[in-house]
Amino acid sequence: MFWERDPKGGYDSKTKQSRTKLVREGLKELRTEIFKWQQEVKEKFEDDPIWVMPGDRNKVWELNNEAALENWNVTSDSDHGEGFSSGSLTISPTGHGLFSGHISTQVPKDGRVKTAGYCNLKSMRPRKSFKRDSYLDWSQYTHLEMRVRGDGRNYLLNIGNAGYFDITWNDVYSYILFTRGGPHWQLTRIPFSKFFLASKGRVQDNQVQVQLDQVTSLGISAGDRINAPFRLEIDYIGVYHDPNHTETFAYEMYRVPKFMGS
Amino acid sequence: MALRGHLLLRGLLHSTLRNVSVIQTTCNRTPTLVSHVRTITSSHTAFAARRKNDNVDEKTSMTIQGFFSSKEKNKDVFMVACDAFRTRGPQLRGHVEFIYAAMKNMEDFGVHKDLEVYKKILDLMPKGKMIPTNIFQQEFMHYPRQQQCAIDCLEQMELNGVLPDSETEMILRNTFGKHSHPVSKFGRMMYWMPKFKNASPWPIPASPPNDALELAQLAVARMCTVDPSSSVTVLQTNTVEDAIDDTWIVSGQSLTQQKLVEELPVDQPIKVEGPFRIFLRDKLVGYFILRAEARPPPEPIKREVVDDVGSLKFWFTGEVDPEEETNLGRPVSVHEQEDGIILGVCATGTSSRDSLLSWVRLLETTNPNLANIPVLFTQASPIGEVMAIDQLSNKSETATIPT
Repeated sequence: MFWERDPKGGYDSKTKQSRTKLVREGLKELRTEIFKWQQEVKEKFEDDPIWVMPGDRNKVWELNNEAALENWNVTSDSDHGEGFSSGSLTISPTGHGLFSGHISTQVPKDGRVKTAGYCNLKSMRPRKSFKRDSYLDWSQYTHLEMRVRGDGRNYLLNIGNAGYFDITWNDVYSYILFTRGGPHWQLTRIPFSKFFLASKGRVQDNQVQVQLDQVTSLGISAGDRINAPFRLEIDYIGVYHDPNHTETFAYEMYRVPKFMGS
Repeated sequence: MALRGHLLLRGLLHSTLRNVSVIQTTCNRTPTLVSHVRTITSSHTAFAARRKNDNVDEKTSMTIQGFFSSKEKNKDVFMVACDAFRTRGPQLRGHVEFIYAAMKNMEDFGVHKDLEVYKKILDLMPKGKMIPTNIFQQEFMHYPRQQQCAIDCLEQMELNGVLPDSETEMILRNTFGKHSHPVSKFGRMMYWMPKFKNASPWPIPASPPNDALELAQLAVARMCTVDPSSSVTVLQTNTVEDAIDDTWIVSGQSLTQQKLVEELPVDQPIKVEGPFRIFLRDKLVGYFILRAEARPPPEPIKREVVDDVGSLKFWFTGEVDPEEETNLGRPVSVHEQEDGIILGVCATGTSSRDSLLSWVRLLETTNPNLANIPVLFTQASPIGEVMAIDQLSNKSETATIPT
């Protein structure tokens, strides 16, 4: 109630591996990690940061082959027996990422779960060499840009902003991705200023803007309470810089009276 | 301990976010799906025990269910059930149980999106008695079970996209006081829900029509927003000779697409594919597309040699090689995608092959070149997943999805 035991809130996989096995598998990765570290050192000496010009777009994730999909994780309520939805991320016939599945709002009769019906896609946490946690730095950009082909349903975009302390582990900044539907691709640009703070599925009273130099993940959720298959084809997800967008936060920031917001 | 309430995020998604909402009165950041109301359940048992002892009114949950056991299920019957509960006495004993039972039955009665009904059941709570009179009562959730009940009711409103009004606020204020958790939850709903109510760039009426033709028109018009020169027309198949089906076709095509059809080579077949799914809130429409295979990307224009003095080039001063390609090329319309050229979309009343054939015939009046091009009718398509065959055999291609 007052602290978090682990960043996954008890929803991690239940299979525990022996320590010797973990050490053995860890040593296998030593080679790749050292290589990564070498690159990082080289990069530091090169000292050639990204210089973002107006109108620049950076495709952060391009979902065009099987290898690109390994950077993503699909979860749904059926994973932990809390519902009957299912979903997957595959390569579509046209060669793009395809987030599809079925949403079911049927609630399992265990007396514990109140509502059900979501399927979620989340990118893996960026890491430096030797599995050290790292962040994506989008502070030079103003918009999230994505090229998708949806089915007319609404999805939720979640920018993970996990920090050091446990209270921030579940911080997520969200906005809705509206899809037009139809055979045409749609290019969507959403200003980062529009993303609002939520945690564990609850929109927070005290809102702050997203920390763009501390992005830990990006997620797309399907959960619009329509019992039907969903389909969202994703070409790429990236960031865009528009200097004319000067809004920093789209929601009211005045102080509410005491005891009104928590 | 600061009790916090928060909006339920998943509610945001539903129906263009007409519903966002809120607030469990548990601590800080509550999980979405799992109810954490243990403190409240314990108070519930105490409440139940007390009721058993006083033995005045032996109403069990079975008798409460009886209020909603009517064969006829509609709004009027539901309202009468609420009124009947009110007549049991001025104490309104067991109103929490009754409200929970009512909430469970709302969908069966088809009133789960009706604000009036929510106000009716919230109004069943006794007024005045539960308003805290000192700061300790206020801080420690006076009448927790009743407050949680009101919060759950508001949350159900939120999930169903029902926006409360000021009358709802007055009911809550008169029941629990100004600074209670249900009133806070109401405040959060009134802050967030209107923000997203009309946020969609492709707005749909709050309750989309049930008529298949109207839905198809909305769907095709929505898909056609991609090109401002599009027009949506409703065609009748009985104007085509030899047509077997007598039905309607909602066709959407833009001037750009007509131009593309005119430019198509007559030796390569084009395809009618579908039906694909498009959702208008919870309504599903199946649509078809007319698609030609993608053209190779336009050839970049070669730089022309203006003054050829024996192919003199001096790279040091920046003279370019005449053979070098440039990035300039033919502008590509939005319909020419890498997975095909979209030449038109339609939805028909029967979704049958025959109605699609009629569509192509009717398109020939505005696209004369179509008469020369072979047209194939296929189901499989790289553009999307087609709907199941059994949905095709329905009389109408629109189907309502139970929520």
